[in-house]
Amino acid sequence: MSESLQYLLNPLQYEYMLRAIWVSALVGGVCGFLSSFVTLKGWSLMGDALSHAVVPGVVIAYLLGLPFALGAFVAAILATGAMAFIRAQSRIREDATIGIVFTSFFALGLVLITAFPAGLDLKVILYGNILGIAAGDVMQVVVIAVVVLCLLGLKWRDLMLYCFDANQARALGIKPMVLHMILLGSLAAVSVAALQAVGAILVLAMLVTPGATAYLLTDRFGKMIWISSGLGIVTSMLGSYASYFLNGATGGCIVSLQALVFLGVFVLAPKHGLLASRRARLKEEIVVKEGVS
Amino acid sequence: MSYPEYPEKVDSAPNLKVQGVSVVYSNGHQALRDASFSLEGGTICALVGVNGSGKSTLFKSIMGFLKPTSGVITINGLPVKEILKQRLVAYVPQSEEVDWQFPVSVWDVVMMGRYGAMNFLRIARAVDRKIVEESLKRVSMWEYRDRQIGELSGGQKKRVFLARALAQEGKVILLDEPFTGVDVSTEHAIIGLLQELKKAGCIILVSTHNLGSVPEFCDQVVLMNRTVLAYGPTADVFTEQNLTLAFGGLLREFQFEQSTIQAHDGRKVRVFSDDERPLVFGKDGHLEYRDRSDHEELLKQRSKEHNE
Repeated sequence: MSESLQYLLNPLQYEYMLRAIWVSALVGGVCGFLSSFVTLKGWSLMGDALSHAVVPGVVIAYLLGLPFALGAFVAAILATGAMAFIRAQSRIREDATIGIVFTSFFALGLVLITAFPAGLDLKVILYGNILGIAAGDVMQVVVIAVVVLCLLGLKWRDLMLYCFDANQARALGIKPMVLHMILLGSLAAVSVAALQAVGAILVLAMLVTPGATAYLLTDRFGKMIWISSGLGIVTSMLGSYASYFLNGATGGCIVSLQALVFLGVFVLAPKHGLLASRRARLKEEIVVKEGVS
Repeated sequence: MSYPEYPEKVDSAPNLKVQGVSVVYSNGHQALRDASFSLEGGTICALVGVNGSGKSTLFKSIMGFLKPTSGVITINGLPVKEILKQRLVAYVPQSEEVDWQFPVSVWDVVMMGRYGAMNFLRIARAVDRKIVEESLKRVSMWEYRDRQIGELSGGQKKRVFLARALAQEGKVILLDEPFTGVDVSTEHAIIGLLQELKKAGCIILVSTHNLGSVPEFCDQVVLMNRTVLAYGPTADVFTEQNLTLAFGGLLREFQFEQSTIQAHDGRKVRVFSDDERPLVFGKDGHLEYRDRSDHEELLKQRSKEHNE
């Protein structure tokens, strides 16, 4: 008994494991918070785009010895600017525009990484490396997380109004463009933080799955934020903890866990789950039949 | 402070002036050309025209979503930017524009009407809650306050957004197709409420396709076809000639003299319509109202003219 307990507590002896757990919990929490907005605004593709578009910025920042976050942020702004420009100046639809721009940015990132092999490890960018995260990077993640959490925490009602009915925001003298920029900026900043934890490929999951799961569990936006943030924190902690036993791939563990939770909720959610809506439909049919007979 | 006497709160009657407004979209499409009209407080005004006649462009310009290429819009002399800051315009959107699956309750939506009046954290004060409660009760939706908005019927949904406009306490209220997907009793309830607001001094601007309902509840009409063709009291503007101008051949018409109706049918003619109310003109091409009891004076005048 005590031996198995010892086995389970094993990862917690290592400082790098503890650090990985709390850093990914922080990242998971911020991503979860933001994912409520991403889900309801219909910005999943945008999240995917930004998380890939930041890669060349990260590489260039690394080569110049600047903070990752700065490079990523500039790349994100350039990418959204390019999307908006192409969208406004041509007849190409939005999804195609996003597809073109983010893959171009990502490709540029790949070229840069391989052209300057002394720089970053491609694997780190693609899959993240939370177990080996450097102290300076931890600092950046913490700063990003705190700033974004404060911003979203203070302005969540305005952002909810913006996602729900931008016209009403404007009629109330609240500028939708400012809220749009806050949301987009948060998305870019959080993408960088999440890049460290799970890598470019899986960032999207962190930015969508908790929100989508929470959406199936509640009809109140305030609760949805709590649930999605909580889910982000818990899955990230457990995922990085589990990665010790599964030998690596922290991002894979976290996202797999989130997918499992989503699956469970998708089937079992009390009101919007698969079984619940089946039951509701059955009930309705019975009522209709009774009404007929 | 002023909450209990909401109707009296509109201290100065607003006036809305649209002067020479033109809107050209970036693709070169001219949606509106030199549109002008003005309205004084205490009126229900219909905005009538075919699809693409510039009704929604005009709405968007009044709400500041679009900047007119030329011309100005003012309320009480204030430009649009100031109108938005003072939250003078409240907007009731078309049902199709709303995400009904959004996780907000009826209460939450109506509270959104108060955001502009709150501090920057948007934390509701007692006065905000009181106004929201009052607004919900006025549209008889208080019992539904905890429902998610997707769980409501078409008429109830409309009433929620009307309550939000009430909670905003705007002086100019824009309604976009308020009667689509709404049952007759809700339609009456909405019209009753609009008439209350009119008495309180608001300008109510209703964009609608439903021509038949216009003479029943609108005092004034702005007739549009990429510009303002005519505006003024309903009876003056709603003439056969003007409507032909606005709609061209796009209206379904039923001409009694060309129909199989004969003299012996007399006044036993009945008109049925499924959704859109029929609009009926009399012998001399003047407007016929559905309910004669409201128009005793007009009837006397017309029969006098007829006997002369």
